[in-house]
Amino acid sequence: MDDKREPDGIVLTEAQKKSRRQRSIAIALALGVLVVLFFAVTLVKGPAVLVRPM
Amino acid sequence: MSVVDHNAIELSPRISEAEVADYIVLLKPRVMSLVIFTALVGLMMAPGHFHPVLAFTSLLCIAVGAGAAGALNMALEGDIDAKMSRTANRPIPRGRITRAEALTFGMTLAFFSVMTLGILVNWFAGALLAFTIFFYVVIYTIVLKRWTAQNIVIGGAAGALPPVVAWAAATGSLSVEPLLLFLIIFFWTPPHFWALALFRRDDYARAGVPMLPVVAGPDATRLQILLYTIVLVAVAVAPWPLGYFDAVYGVTSLFLGSGMLALAIDVYRRREGTQALRATRKLFAFSILYLFGLFATLLLEVVARAVAPSIW
Repeated sequence: MDDKREPDGIVLTEAQKKSRRQRSIAIALALGVLVVLFFAVTLVKGPAVLVRPM
Repeated sequence: MSVVDHNAIELSPRISEAEVADYIVLLKPRVMSLVIFTALVGLMMAPGHFHPVLAFTSLLCIAVGAGAAGALNMALEGDIDAKMSRTANRPIPRGRITRAEALTFGMTLAFFSVMTLGILVNWFAGALLAFTIFFYVVIYTIVLKRWTAQNIVIGGAAGALPPVVAWAAATGSLSVEPLLLFLIIFFWTPPHFWALALFRRDDYARAGVPMLPVVAGPDATRLQILLYTIVLVAVAVAPWPLGYFDAVYGVTSLFLGSGMLALAIDVYRRREGTQALRATRKLFAFSILYLFGLFATLLLEVVARAVAPSIW
């Protein structure tokens, strides 16, 4: 078999790869902030939610 | 024989090279900074204790909601932006981001900002934020902007709502004070944007946007700027004698208001040449300082009252 075959589909340029990685990191950070925000507000509004009797 | 010649169809999907910076431009950071500042004042003026985490959450949601409205506005005005020198460098006219991408980005942020504010703070504030975004995108951008010279007068309501949303976030209700803040920004918007439109008149005319200087001419615009400035200064001073805001605010408002009025009179009187242009630019620049000064004074009053309640 020929191992040097061109890869199928779309091949991203370096600039496209770089910008996609940048956007992915930004989305991850935004989601992280959202999670932390929900966690913090849950503690502020109702710490009793963490106290669960057996 | 095949009806469609598959070899003739070249699929070339567009791969985005947009960077995070391009998306930040879509959020209109300068507008967002004014929104955050006015909302902060609304938040700080609200009575009662508001937990700092909830206050931060509210400001963040209002800021992201404003950014969402900005992104949706740019998505819908790509054709206008491309024709105006002031906006031709925005990501959509430059081809960095497509309209569909900007729409998706804006809708996503609008959804998350409204839902987060509703779930984490209160649904009244969430609904007000949703209405603000709706007003800016649908009423102002889609309906008014290309239709009437009163576009920024009515549309200005969207820009005036952030302190009201912030007050609603802190208290779950409304009162006279946030409505006074609303009125100040509402009457500030026409002189501010018409001053800009006077020295960007050719830009707006080329783009086919019916701004007042394009439709009614510069002289009529100068008169409207003066009339709105008189109303603005009166509305901005009124809360002091009515007993809603303190004397420090009242004196600052009188002082800054007299400056604003003097510059508006200057714009009205100087109608030709570089002096007219300079007067218009001065009014535009000072109007930003004027609004910032009024809201900064209110903020300082609140902080001073909290730090030294016996002295104040």
